[in-house]
Amino acid sequence: MAAITLKNIIKSYDKTQVVKGIDLAIEDGEFVVLVGPSGCGKSTTLRMIAGLEQPTSGDIIIGDRVVNDIEPQNRNIAMVFQNYALYPHKSVKENIVFALRRLKVDNDEIERRLSEISEMLQLEELLDRKPADLSGGQRQRVAMGRAIIREADVFLFDEPLSNLDSKLRSHMRTEIGKIHNKFGRTSVYVTHDQVEAMTLADKVVVLHDGYIAQYGTPMEIYLNPTNIFVAQFIGSPSMNIIEGTLFNDYLDIDGHHLPREKLSNVAYQETISDSGLKVKVGIRPDFFNDKAFFSETDLTFNFNNVVIDLIEPMGFDKEVLFNLAGGSVKARLDLRSDITLGVKIDLLVDLSRVLIFDPETEQRL
Amino acid sequence: MTPLERAEAKFGWKLVAPTILILGLLILYPLMYNVYLSFFDVQLNGYKTFVGLENYIKLLTNTDYYSAIGTTSLYLLGTVVGTTLLGLAMALLLKDPFKGRGLVNAAIMLPYVAPVISVVFGWQFLFDPISGVVNYLFVDVLGIWSERTNLIGNPDSALWVVVLFDIWKHAPIAYLLILSKLVSVSRDQYEAAAIDGYGPIGRFFHVTLPELYFVLATVVLLRLIWNLNRFEDVYLLAPNVQTLPIFTYYQAFTGVIDQGLAAATSVIQLAVLSVFIWFYIKKIMKW
Amino acid sequence: MLGKRTLTGRIGFALAILLLVSFSLLPFAQILSTSLKHQYDWGNPSLIPQTINLDAYKELLGLTEAKKVEIPAAIQKILNNPKLPKDKKEAIAAKYTSNENLFPFGKYMLNSVIFSVGAATFSLIFSVMGAYSISRLRFKGQVVIQRSVLFVYMVGGVLLMVPLYQMAMNIGLASSLWGSAFCLFLIYIVQTLPVGMYMLGNYFRGIPFALEEAAMMDGCSRKEAIIKVVLPLSLPMLATVFIYCFIIGWNEYLFASVFLKQYPEFHTLPLALQELFVSKNAIWDRIMAASMLTLAPIVICFLFASRFMKGGKTDGGVKG
Ligand SMILES: Nc1ncnc2c1ncn2[C@@H]1O[C@H](COP(=O)(O)OP(=O)(O)O)[C@@H](O)[C@H]1O
Ligand SMILES: [Mg+2]
Repeated sequence: MAAITLKNIIKSYDKTQVVKGIDLAIEDGEFVVLVGPSGCGKSTTLRMIAGLEQPTSGDIIIGDRVVNDIEPQNRNIAMVFQNYALYPHKSVKENIVFALRRLKVDNDEIERRLSEISEMLQLEELLDRKPADLSGGQRQRVAMGRAIIREADVFLFDEPLSNLDSKLRSHMRTEIGKIHNKFGRTSVYVTHDQVEAMTLADKVVVLHDGYIAQYGTPMEIYLNPTNIFVAQFIGSPSMNIIEGTLFNDYLDIDGHHLPREKLSNVAYQETISDSGLKVKVGIRPDFFNDKAFFSETDLTFNFNNVVIDLIEPMGFDKEVLFNLAGGSVKARLDLRSDITLGVKIDLLVDLSRVLIFDPETEQRL
Repeated sequence: MTPLERAEAKFGWKLVAPTILILGLLILYPLMYNVYLSFFDVQLNGYKTFVGLENYIKLLTNTDYYSAIGTTSLYLLGTVVGTTLLGLAMALLLKDPFKGRGLVNAAIMLPYVAPVISVVFGWQFLFDPISGVVNYLFVDVLGIWSERTNLIGNPDSALWVVVLFDIWKHAPIAYLLILSKLVSVSRDQYEAAAIDGYGPIGRFFHVTLPELYFVLATVVLLRLIWNLNRFEDVYLLAPNVQTLPIFTYYQAFTGVIDQGLAAATSVIQLAVLSVFIWFYIKKIMKW
Repeated sequence: MLGKRTLTGRIGFALAILLLVSFSLLPFAQILSTSLKHQYDWGNPSLIPQTINLDAYKELLGLTEAKKVEIPAAIQKILNNPKLPKDKKEAIAAKYTSNENLFPFGKYMLNSVIFSVGAATFSLIFSVMGAYSISRLRFKGQVVIQRSVLFVYMVGGVLLMVPLYQMAMNIGLASSLWGSAFCLFLIYIVQTLPVGMYMLGNYFRGIPFALEEAAMMDGCSRKEAIIKVVLPLSLPMLATVFIYCFIIGWNEYLFASVFLKQYPEFHTLPLALQELFVSKNAIWDRIMAASMLTLAPIVICFLFASRFMKGGKTDGGVKG
C-alpha cells in the first residue's frame, strides 16, 4: 500500500522534452487515470513510475521512499502491458505464478492465490495452455491475473483494453473496477479512451503535450474544465466553443444576450470597457434542451428560432447541428423532439453550465 | 545520467567486454600490427629488420603479384556473375510452392554447408584425367575434346574449375537472399502488369527486376567481400591457381619465406576490402 | 512464371529442377560412389559400384587391425643427424609414422570435435553476452561496437594469418604444441564470435522488449530476465548459432595448417585429409570415405538446424 508523488518530473529523449514538468500526488488506494491524446507522454510517465524509464530530472516517491535510484524489480509494482507481454514459452499457470515462484512463496499459498484469481478471472480452464492458444480477451485476463497475484503496492496499467473489441472492452472495464474495489491498491491507469477514464477513475489526470492540463475527479473535469483543451477532450460529443463578447451585464453570443448575474460558473469579476471583451464560450451539447419538453426557468436562457441544419438520431437521443456566431453548434436533444431539417425551434440552455475562456491563453475566465 | 542508467551502461560494458577484448586483441590489433610488419623484413621465427617501403616496392615490381591480381579479378568476375545469375535463376524457379520443395531446398543447400575439405576431393575426382566423369563425358561421349586433359593441373583451366566450384558452393546463399526478397513482391504488382498487357518476360523486366535491384546489389557486394578473401576453396581444390590470398599464403609460409612481403600484400588487400565493406555498411545497411 | 499449367511448362519445370538438383548433388554422389568402389571400378563412369567395398570405411573407423610401421632406414639416417633441430626431427618422424598406411581417422575426428565444439561453446557464450548488450542495453559506444563487429566479421582470415602467426611467435606460443593448439582455439573463437553476435543480435532485437519489462515487474533483475525469459525464447536460435559456429570450426583449414601442420598429433580433419591427399597413400576410396565421414556430422547438424534456419540466416550477410 502506498501513495505516489511525482515532483517536477521532466523526461527528455536526446534534446526533445516529452514530459515537461509533472507534479502529481496520488493518495494511497486511489485509482488515478492518465488520459490524453496519443503521444502526449502518458506511457512515458507511467513507465517512469515503474522504473522502466528514468526521469531526466525530478523525484518519484512511492510510499515513503524516493525510488529514482531503485530498480524496477525492487519497487514492488505490478503492471499490465498494452500487448500483455505474456511469456510465450510458459503456460498460463506458470505465467501467473512466475513472480511468486521467484519470491519463494510456499506452494500452498501459491495454489491458494492461483485458484482465487483464476476463479475471479475465469481462467480455470486455461491454466495449462500457452499464450499463443488464447484469444485476445483471454490473454488480457491472464495479464491481469499475473499482475494482481503479486499483491503489489501499486498497480500500473498501460492501455490494457485497447486491443479488445468494444464489447469485451466494456466488460473488462467493469471487471477492473471490481478488482480495484476488492483489493483497493493504488492504481495508475493509462488510456486515451475518456470513457474508461470517466468510469474507472477516482481522479483523472488529463495530459496534454507533456503537461498536466487538469487534475481532478471525473465530475470536476467534466463540469469545470480549466481550459479549452480539457473541455473539448473530455465529453462526447465534445464541448461547443462559440465566439462571444462579454459585457458588464451580459454575455453576447451572436446577438443573444445571456444575463451576466445568472452565469454562476463565470468567475470573471473585472470591469470591462464599453466595447466588451472577446471570449470563447463553452457549452456542452448535453446542456441544450428542446423548449417543447422543458420548462423555462430563470436559470435557463432561450435561444429562440434556431434553424436546424443536420439531424443525427443516436437511438436514445438525437444530435442536431445549428449555426451560431458563424460556427456550427451541436446540441443533444431528447428523443421526443419532433424536429425536421430547416425547422425553427427554441433551445433552452442551462446558464449555470456556460463557461468562458480567454481566446488567447484558452484558459478559463 | 541517473544511477540506474549508469548501472545499465556498466552492465552493458561488462557483457561486451570479453567480445571487445577478443576481437580487439585478435582482429583489430593484428590488422594494425600487419601494417607495422609490412615495413619489416620478417622471418618465420619472428626475427625482424626494418626495411622501410622495400616490401611495397618489391611487391609492385613483382610480375607474379600482377598476375595474382589478374587471376583474382577473373575469379571475382566469374564467381560474382555466376553466383548471382544462378542464385537468381534458382530463386525464380523455386519461388512458388510445389510438392517436394523442402527436399529440393535441402539438396541445393547441401553444397553450401558441406566442409570444403570433404567436397574438394570429389571435385578432383570428377576432373581426374583418368577416372573422372568430365573427361569421360567430353572425350568419350560427346567427343568435343580430342584427348583427356588434366583441367586442374593446368592453372589456366583450373581457374575456371575453381570458379565453377565457388558458384556451386555459394549460389545457395545468393538464392536465399534473392528468394526472401522475391516472395515479398506483392501479387498485385504482377496482376497489375498482367492487366497492362505484359507477358511473363515483360513482367520479369518491369516488375521483378526493379524490385530485385537492391538485393542483387547486396549479393554482388557480399560475394566480392567474401571472395576477395577466399582461401580454402581455391587452395584445396587447385593450389596452382594463385589468387591474392594464395599468393600471400605462399609468400608467408612456403618456399622462400617473406612474411613482410605477405604483410604488405595483406595491407593493400585490406584497403580494397575496406572500400567494399564501407560501401556495404553505407549503402546496404544504410548506417 | 514458367507457365506451369501447360504440359510443356511442367516438363520444363521438372527438367530444370532435376538439372539443378543433379548439379548440386553430383559431387556428393561421386564421393559416396567412389568411397564404396574397388580400385578396378574407379574408371567406370557409372555411379553405382559393381560390388560394394567397405574396406575404406572399416579401415578409417579402426575396424581392421592396423599394423605398426617402422620409420624407413633412409629417414632414420636423417633423424640421426645431430645438426637437425629437435622439433624438425619430431615433425619428420611424426610424418612418417602417421602416414604409412596408418591413418588415425578417429583421432583426427576427435581433434576436430574438440576444437570446433569447444570454440563454438565459448563463442556462443560470449556472443550471447555481447549480442544482448549491443541490442538491448543503452550505453554510449554501442553503435560503434556494433559497426566494428560487422566490419570485423567481414575481414577474412587470410588478412590475419601473418600478424597472428607473428604475434603467437613473439610471445612464444607458436613454438610449442599446446601453445599452438591454444592459439588455434582462440582463433576459432574469434572467427565465429562476430557471426554469432550478428545473428543473435538480430534475433534479440525481434524479441519484444516488453517481455523483459514484464519479467522485471515480476521482480527479476536484468540478469534473471535474460536467463529466465530471453534465453528460453531464443533456444532455437542458440542452437542454430552453435551449429553455425561449429561448422565454421569444423571446416577451417587455413589456420589449422599455419599452426598445427608440424604437430600431427593435433591435426584436425581438414588438415589430415589434405595431408593424406598429398601423401603417397592417396587412395581414392580411402580419401572419399574420409570425405564422407567428415561430411556426415555437418549434414546431420544441417538437417537439424534447417528447421530453425529460415528466419535468422538469410538476413544480411551470413558468412560464406
Ligand atoms: N524511447 C523513445 N525515444 C524517443 N522518443 C520517445 C521514446 N519513447 C517515447 N518517445 C516519444 O515521447 C512521446 C510520448 O510518448 P508516449 O509516452 O509513449 O505517449 P503516449 O501518451 O501515447 O503513451 C512521443 O512523442 C514519442 O514519440
Ligand atoms: Mg502509450
